[in-house]
Amino acid sequence: MKKKILVIDDDLNIRDYLVSLFTDNGYDAYIAGDVKEGIKEATKIKPDLITLDIEMPGEWGPRFYRQMSQDPELKNIPVIVISGLSGHQYAVVKAVASLTKPFDRDELLAIVKETLN
Amino acid sequence: MAKQLYLIDGDGNHAAAVKTYIERRQYRVSCAGTRDAASLLFDAKIPDIILADPFISEDMVSCLETVKKEHPFVQMVIFTQKDMLNTAMDVFGSSAIHYLGLPLNSKALDLALNAAGTAVSQNRRIERYTERLSELHGTQDLLSQLFEEVPCYISVQDKNFRITAANRKFRDHFGNQVGEHCFEIYKHRTSLCNGCPVMETFTDGESHSTEEIVTSQFGKQYNVLTRTAPIRNEMGEITQVMEMSTNITQIRQLQDHLVSLGLMLGSMSHGVKGMLTALDGGIYQLETGLAKGDESRVMKASGQIKIMADKIKGMVLEILYYAKSRELQYEEMTVESLAGNVISTVTAKAEKHGVLLDISIPENLGKIDVDPKWMEASLVNFLENAVDACASDREKKDHQISFHVSKNSKNQICFTIIDNGIGMDIETKNKMFTLFFSSKGSQGTGLGLFIAHRVIKYHEGTVEVESEQGKGSRFFINIPARKPDSTKIIDFPMAGH
Repeated sequence: MKKKILVIDDDLNIRDYLVSLFTDNGYDAYIAGDVKEGIKEATKIKPDLITLDIEMPGEWGPRFYRQMSQDPELKNIPVIVISGLSGHQYAVVKAVASLTKPFDRDELLAIVKETLN
Repeated sequence: MAKQLYLIDGDGNHAAAVKTYIERRQYRVSCAGTRDAASLLFDAKIPDIILADPFISEDMVSCLETVKKEHPFVQMVIFTQKDMLNTAMDVFGSSAIHYLGLPLNSKALDLALNAAGTAVSQNRRIERYTERLSELHGTQDLLSQLFEEVPCYISVQDKNFRITAANRKFRDHFGNQVGEHCFEIYKHRTSLCNGCPVMETFTDGESHSTEEIVTSQFGKQYNVLTRTAPIRNEMGEITQVMEMSTNITQIRQLQDHLVSLGLMLGSMSHGVKGMLTALDGGIYQLETGLAKGDESRVMKASGQIKIMADKIKGMVLEILYYAKSRELQYEEMTVESLAGNVISTVTAKAEKHGVLLDISIPENLGKIDVDPKWMEASLVNFLENAVDACASDREKKDHQISFHVSKNSKNQICFTIIDNGIGMDIETKNKMFTLFFSSKGSQGTGLGLFIAHRVIKYHEGTVEVESEQGKGSRFFINIPARKPDSTKIIDFPMAGH
């Protein structure tokens, strides 16, 4: 069964990019454009991994992380931060990795593979 | 040091005896028995004392007179036959320190030589004092020249903070203000400045430094780096403090350019990173689409790459546009539209802080030539500062900003902004348009009003400010409705709005 990855990013082009990248590499990819949608999707699909943007309109990435950490069903899902902001990744303390945009796609895939195995 | 004595005596035996007697008293003695021999001695060196019989030849008198006239410090003791003493006194008068009759009495000779020796010692001391005084004058002249010509503002203040001395550069820029308070001259204040370095130096005797903004006698403002040094009296007490200020206005202006550029690039970097990632995504989609023969993915990727390339191009052009000097881009627009745009930008902020906006924009004001981007940013800045002034005021319950637009007889559009916020003291009011001056602490960069004011100036407009601390401020901004003949170059990057 394919592993499920939830991509949370407000930029449609980046969401498309990550979805293509993950599906091309044998994963099922799901998308959310903001924190609220992210929580909803995560609760629904129970992903194996989440990629999280930090700077998003409305609530920002770390708030999603706090909310999912308080949910017993979501709190153990690994999170990879992918953000244009550097330094703010510390707001997501348990992130398995933190990549700065523009990221290296091989590096991302290697981290994803290692995390999901 | 042994004193040099010339003994001029026509009687060789007598001279030899006197020489022996005098040498025992630690004088170096040279003898001359004729006028010519005496002249040779005088040509070689002028002695401290001359012990002479002036009547050994006819021209000896004139020879001695000449020597005494040219070398007044030489002490002359005249001896001669007793019947000639009166004549000798008539000739030499007070030029000689003593007169002795022949045969010489040893005690009288001792007294005469002692008197001459004392006079020589005194003369030597006077000579040394004169030399030292001359050296002192030279040093004083040098120090005075250094003080005067050093290329920074130097003033000396007493314990009442009154200026007691100022160098030329200071006088050129701040006037000859000896006797006035330094804070009045430097800052046009009525009381001592906060953190005054002069006061600190009076207190601890150490040198202190601060960065200040001062106002010249012509109203020009300078950024200066100030250092102080104590001046002590013989007891070691600090009686005055010297204040040296270097004008760093140009450095600050350069920093302004760099900071503005930095602020702009910082705010854009997040967007740039997102675009580059999306561009990466487009390239990935294109590559994988081609590899898979997925035409729809290729088409989608191609569209995405094009959009991203356009966006990046636009942003780079924008950076270049902001970073470079440029002419004002005049456009004709209605005053109503300009004022309306400004108000719509400010309304949200005013509402957030509970500030009531009283707006009056008549419809019949016609059109105005402005660079809309700069002018709107400038007016918004003035209004947002008014909102900040209201938001900072904890004394009054209700706050209001009036924004009235009118046209005067000089065909100028007049924007009047009146707020009932915290108002400003004189110092803040004087410096409000100065680069990097901010009364908002960490909330302000000191750039906003500096740029806003320049924009008005470059449109050949004027800004007048009235303010009273605790009561509020009034800004009167007048801008020509028609574009001036020459177009100004905006020579700073835009920051903030």
